[in-house]
Amino acid sequence: MKRDDRIAGAAGLAGALAVGVEALSFRVDFLTDPLGPKALPLFAAALLGAGSLVVLARPEANPGWPAAGGRTRLAAAVASFLAYAALLFPLGFFLATGLEGVVLSRLFGGKLTHSALAGVAISAALFVVFGWALGIALPMGAVWQRFGG
Amino acid sequence: MDALGQLLDGFGVALAPFNLALAFGGVLVGTIVGMLPGIGPINAIAVLIPITFAVRIPPESALILFAGIYYGAQYGNSISTILLNVPGDSASIATTFDGYAMTRAGRASTALATAGIASFVGGTLSVFGLVLLAPALARWAIRFGPAEYFALMIFAFAALSGLAGKAPRKALVATGLGLLLATVGLDPFSAVSRYTFGEIKLLDGLDFVVVTIGLFAVSEVLVLLEVSPAGQGAVVAVGRVMQSVRETFAARWSMVRGSVIGFLVGVLPGAGGTIAALLAYTSEKRLVDRRGTFGTGDIRGVAAPEAANNAAATGAMIPLLTLGVPGSGTTAVMLGALLGMNVKPGPLLIQNSPEVFWGLAASMYIGNVILLVLNLPLVGLFASMLRVPRWVLFPAVTALAFVSVYAVNASALDLVLMTGFGVLGYAMRKLGFPLAPLVLGLVLGPLAETNLRRSLALSGGDWSVLFSSPIAIGLWILAAACVVGPVLLGRRARVEHVLT
Repeated sequence: MKRDDRIAGAAGLAGALAVGVEALSFRVDFLTDPLGPKALPLFAAALLGAGSLVVLARPEANPGWPAAGGRTRLAAAVASFLAYAALLFPLGFFLATGLEGVVLSRLFGGKLTHSALAGVAISAALFVVFGWALGIALPMGAVWQRFGG
Repeated sequence: MDALGQLLDGFGVALAPFNLALAFGGVLVGTIVGMLPGIGPINAIAVLIPITFAVRIPPESALILFAGIYYGAQYGNSISTILLNVPGDSASIATTFDGYAMTRAGRASTALATAGIASFVGGTLSVFGLVLLAPALARWAIRFGPAEYFALMIFAFAALSGLAGKAPRKALVATGLGLLLATVGLDPFSAVSRYTFGEIKLLDGLDFVVVTIGLFAVSEVLVLLEVSPAGQGAVVAVGRVMQSVRETFAARWSMVRGSVIGFLVGVLPGAGGTIAALLAYTSEKRLVDRRGTFGTGDIRGVAAPEAANNAAATGAMIPLLTLGVPGSGTTAVMLGALLGMNVKPGPLLIQNSPEVFWGLAASMYIGNVILLVLNLPLVGLFASMLRVPRWVLFPAVTALAFVSVYAVNASALDLVLMTGFGVLGYAMRKLGFPLAPLVLGLVLGPLAETNLRRSLALSGGDWSVLFSSPIAIGLWILAAACVVGPVLLGRRARVEHVLT
């Protein structure tokens, strides 16, 4: 089966066409330089399109995708990354990172108690190193501030 | 001699306590990330970039740190390769043939001692090469105008795409994608916004740290999650490495030959440590393997590729520093970091910022000595880190990547973008699309565009300016050779791939 390379090639080609068409609409009111802002996007879209076309025409065999259990772990991990992005500012760095640590540790096969310890330890270590030692302003959590924090 | 005096000044920079500490920290981190499968120097450097920006360390110190990670990783690589038959990075693939064979024969300590000393020989000899070659190359390149630069960048793209993978069409896709990502944001010439979709945060363009951490670190975590959590390879006892040092003397000429090959290959854009090590291994096998012992645990089969991949790491710094053109994913990330600190690598770097170049050269010499000391007596300690459970190590690495992406702009959008690039990187890895051309396109794209538009603006739109000097024409011919060469040599290349 060579389906996956065909999908990738088709997606690349569609993407190249879309960004190429978009590039045609870049307009400059006054002449800044002979080439203008369209040239690089058009050239890059042409590279992407040409490469994708050859991938589409000469696909390689499908890679070995993970089994059902692996797919679930991947989906859970990606969901947890997005949840982290959504929760970082409301919950604050310490709690959000701790929860993410627990989830990932579980996904990597840790027992519940081990994972809980790992999550707390990772979050605390990063908080100390980045928040205190390096002085990077980490979000403290909007939720807590409502309780007069 | 002038260069000698500048080198002494460089030692002054490198021996400053702060820089010495960074060199030590860099090679230590490098050894660890090089050894641990799944975390490479490119991840470590990308993660550290926002931190170096945030704490505002000077560029020469940052470069000393990044370079330490880069060449330190070449030492660490060999540890997991020899003990577990799992290369920490593709640059150590050639070491699996004889290195792991030695471990199975109960000679792990000899293999580790050989790898450590060969890495030291390769690293040290190539620093001399760097000091001799880089200033000469910079003097030659000082005449480059925008047209020559543009041709040079095209050569770098062509070399990386032509040499990088089995499927040049996939490298082409990755290059196009990287260039497109580079165009996101305000066009510096005309102030037209390109592909920002009305999002104000995108006007500055995609931050390359966010893209790189997503593509490399996050996608790596996804790849690692594929395997079932159970089962971690057993680590063989290391034995007494110091007592094996004498045995490695037998492989001294293999180390020297490997260093020379590795250095020369490393200077070429696109080739890098993997090709250097494989080339050193195959040529050593052809030259000295009279009894057919290569592949069964011959120490020369460990010495040559390990010297070569270290020498290649140093050699790769030359085009980065003197031409401003990186030849690999890792050096492309370093270029991005330097540009972010307003240091412009190129022919004028050695003149304008001597402390950066000579400080780095001196620090690499010192760093290799530190690595030798770390790796011979303490290799057992490093090897025990291979026993750290996955459920602590990988969540910690992931969380670290998140913090540094956050540190770039303090923006949640960056974390979402990072996740998106992680999924893209995962799909690209699985389908065999190389990631290095994408990073190169992202970092070099704006520079290439600026040089092209500048040269055309100077010539009033006359394209022949791009082919108006012998240097530019030579570079165009080299670029064409990189694209056409692999097609013509296709049959031969396929044979080599079977070997690997």
